[in-house]
Amino acid sequence: MKKPVIVCVDDERTVLSSLQTELMDALADEYLIETAEGGEDALALFEELLEDNYEIPLIISDCMMLGMPGDELLKRIHALSPKTFKILLTGQTNTEAVVNALNHANLYRHISKPWETSDLVLTVSEAIKTYFKDQLLDEQNKALKKVNATLSQTLDNLKATQQELIQSEKMATLGQLIAGVAHEINTPLGAIQSSVENIATFLNQTLEHLPTFFKEICLEHQQDFFALLKKSIQHETFLSSKEKRQLRKTMVRQLDEHRVEDATMIADTLVEMGICDNIEAFLPLLKAPKSQTILNTAYQLASLQKSTQTIMAASERAAKVVFALKSFARYDSSGEKVPTNLIEGIETVLTLYHNQLKHGIEIIKNYAQLPPVWGYPAELNQVWTNIIHNALQAMSYKGTLKIDVTEQDNHAIINITDSGIGIPDEIKQKIFEPFFTTKPTGEGCGLGLDIVKRIIDKHNGKITVESVVGKTTLTVYIPINPNEEKRHA
Amino acid sequence: MPKPVILCVDDEVVVLESLKIQLKQEFGDIYFYEMAESADEALEIIEELREDNIDILVIVSDWLMPGMKGDEFLIRVHDKYPGIIKVLLTGQADSEAIKRAQHQANLHRCLYKPWNAKELIETIKSGLA
Repeated sequence: MKKPVIVCVDDERTVLSSLQTELMDALADEYLIETAEGGEDALALFEELLEDNYEIPLIISDCMMLGMPGDELLKRIHALSPKTFKILLTGQTNTEAVVNALNHANLYRHISKPWETSDLVLTVSEAIKTYFKDQLLDEQNKALKKVNATLSQTLDNLKATQQELIQSEKMATLGQLIAGVAHEINTPLGAIQSSVENIATFLNQTLEHLPTFFKEICLEHQQDFFALLKKSIQHETFLSSKEKRQLRKTMVRQLDEHRVEDATMIADTLVEMGICDNIEAFLPLLKAPKSQTILNTAYQLASLQKSTQTIMAASERAAKVVFALKSFARYDSSGEKVPTNLIEGIETVLTLYHNQLKHGIEIIKNYAQLPPVWGYPAELNQVWTNIIHNALQAMSYKGTLKIDVTEQDNHAIINITDSGIGIPDEIKQKIFEPFFTTKPTGEGCGLGLDIVKRIIDKHNGKITVESVVGKTTLTVYIPINPNEEKRHA
Repeated sequence: MPKPVILCVDDEVVVLESLKIQLKQEFGDIYFYEMAESADEALEIIEELREDNIDILVIVSDWLMPGMKGDEFLIRVHDKYPGIIKVLLTGQADSEAIKRAQHQANLHRCLYKPWNAKELIETIKSGLA
């Protein structure tokens, strides 16, 4: 390690050498003492030392020198090495030079000639001490700044991670939702596909037989045939498989009474066609030798009708799901609150969860009339999704889901109650904390209710929880007109 | 002489209606077709038919239904009536459930929704052959 350098400047050799001697006596162990006999000489020395990476804590310069005066030299030195301490040796009337050096060279001290050795050494030691103290402070400052930068970088990273986690939690809920929606759309698509197949089969196989069929049956039977078909097409009531079996049994007895052959088969076909009563009119037809062919052809035509009805119903259902998806994902492009129908949002979420609800969840809805609420519809949908999703999981997709919507004191109050396992008292307060989860790894990172709370906070609302085994209620309060509320406050 | 029965089980009525139309279109009066909206209803029908000494040849069952799932239903049926041909028709493939049905109910085939009529008919024919 190089020793730091103290530079002494004076154009009088005797002064210079006594300066050097005095300083060397006091400081030679730790410092090099260099000398220069004038301003130009000093500057050259300084540059050389800096180039060689010497620390120069101090320069002591005479004030009155030939060529460059001391204050001018210190000014230049200050430009080269601002941290170096500067001391000016002055005669009696150098006030102007001192002020100049003070103002432009950050002069540390000025010592009047002739000086006391002890005074000089003390001032020099003090300057050097301060120099190194400043330097240490500087380094510490730098280190602190670095730590600070790292910390603020870490904070930024944490914030980004938090956003990512929130996003991934949203995506997890969305993923489950999409699986359900896929099934929800696939079912009507399947119905449409098989209905279209049925129609195609009819067109390929039955249509060409129709002209012959009509030629071979008598006029009376033709009329009966169309009456049968008309009755079938008019029938629109939905029958369950159980009801159909009941109707079939009754009809078989009726047909047996009238000695119609093959009663079971005929009854089955008629019930499928939606013809369940007043069959007396068709008895002559049913007793005719060609009854099977006539009835089957009528059935084929009726099923054509049924297929088209199925296609219509299935398309409506698929469209409903798509509509729900669209309103679920409605993008709040304005970033401003808009009048929002809370019940519509809840219904949207229920439509998308239909697949997971229909197998064992009873839904009880009590909706009061509610004015539109100022809010962010897509984010509120996220609230209902997360709460309902938790509720379904808490009851393993079997039980009762109760949704009450009421209005009180200018607030919309939404109660969502499940009949699930409940939340133990000791964790009740933790459920809104980020990363708190009771679910196994991979089923969510514990941000669901944190997200819910953030969104509700954004609406100046609040959320509370009440829970015993078999009955957990999350209550969401949303101010209906927050502006008005502010005005009253 | 009562006709042997093909039984279809699905919680979606539109699926049952399509199945019935397809079966009637193909097999007509050879068989009789019973439809059930749940496994429980299907078990009731099976008992009724057996009391009347009516044969059940084939069961086509959905897997994901409220209450009893398709695999459990077919296993129950198999315990009592191992001779019935059993087919799963499912929108959601749960490989464990299919495995169970294969091992414990001698599952004949597993068809995926949406299915096509030709595939369904061929499956039933191959079971009956």
